[in-house]
Amino acid sequence: MGTREQVETTAGADARLADPWVTIVWNDPVNLMSYVTRVFQEYFRLPRTEAEARMREVHEQGRSVLSHGSREQMEVDVQAMHGYGLWATLQRSGQ
Amino acid sequence: MKAFTARDGEAVAVLDEDERLVIARIVADVGLLLGGEDFGAEHHSGLPHREDLAEALSFLDSLEEALVEPDDPALRRLLPNAAPTDREVADEFRRLTQDELKASKVARLRRMWDDLRQETDDWVVPASEVMATASALTDVRLVIASRLGLDSDEAAQELHEEIQRATEEMEHASAAEAGIDAERLWLGMLYDALTWLQESLVSVRLDQE
Repeated sequence: MGTREQVETTAGADARLADPWVTIVWNDPVNLMSYVTRVFQEYFRLPRTEAEARMREVHEQGRSVLSHGSREQMEVDVQAMHGYGLWATLQRSGQ
Repeated sequence: MKAFTARDGEAVAVLDEDERLVIARIVADVGLLLGGEDFGAEHHSGLPHREDLAEALSFLDSLEEALVEPDDPALRRLLPNAAPTDREVADEFRRLTQDELKASKVARLRRMWDDLRQETDDWVVPASEVMATASALTDVRLVIASRLGLDSDEAAQELHEEIQRATEEMEHASAAEAGIDAERLWLGMLYDALTWLQESLVSVRLDQE
């Protein structure tokens, strides 16, 4: 048991170190589905179908994780989303 | 008003003088809200004294007054909290990004205002400016939506239905007679028009794409 716990803890810690922060885009009643799709295509360089899938997730689930990385990288992504008028936040991964 | 369509690789909408005037005015108001300079002395003093526009512009006067409050929810919507559950992260983000975000939003609004002040009905947006213009329209819509209390998809849908009902009722009666809040109706119609314009702009397929 002890060994297994140790392994899981280490794996979890590695995952957090690799991608410690996330950028989340939240649903809002103002932004248009077509516009959000284009923002995801333009900024995150997602193919159209993937951008649409993320847009639908935001619209239907209320939020979607759009990027992972360091806190500094997420600050850049969230700033870009706010630039586009989307409601985005950053937080530690897994919170 | 005609929605954006593709013309020679550019997006072109058609707005008459009154439509350009009203939209330019609210664009300038949002610029001021973000702490930008006044987009032009003519923004206030040069407005034609037109009876038919007086009421509409008075609604924008009251909107402008509502927007100067420092903790204005509209401003919070333009520059949202980046980490609602972590004060340290949120404050740091605001410190690092707020001035730049404000400046880029104001610059974009300014370009749109300049376009709308041209003495032509054609509003021409080159392919390279489509997303910047769509983003500026988003900022304007966010401010109006905040003023109208559109805080959910349901509230937005209700406003839309309210406008349709009010428009039908006003074929037979004045706003006062029909018990309609003329200011809310007018702002709602402006919001709908800007939504429709933005949707058409984002949907235009230009040759370069």
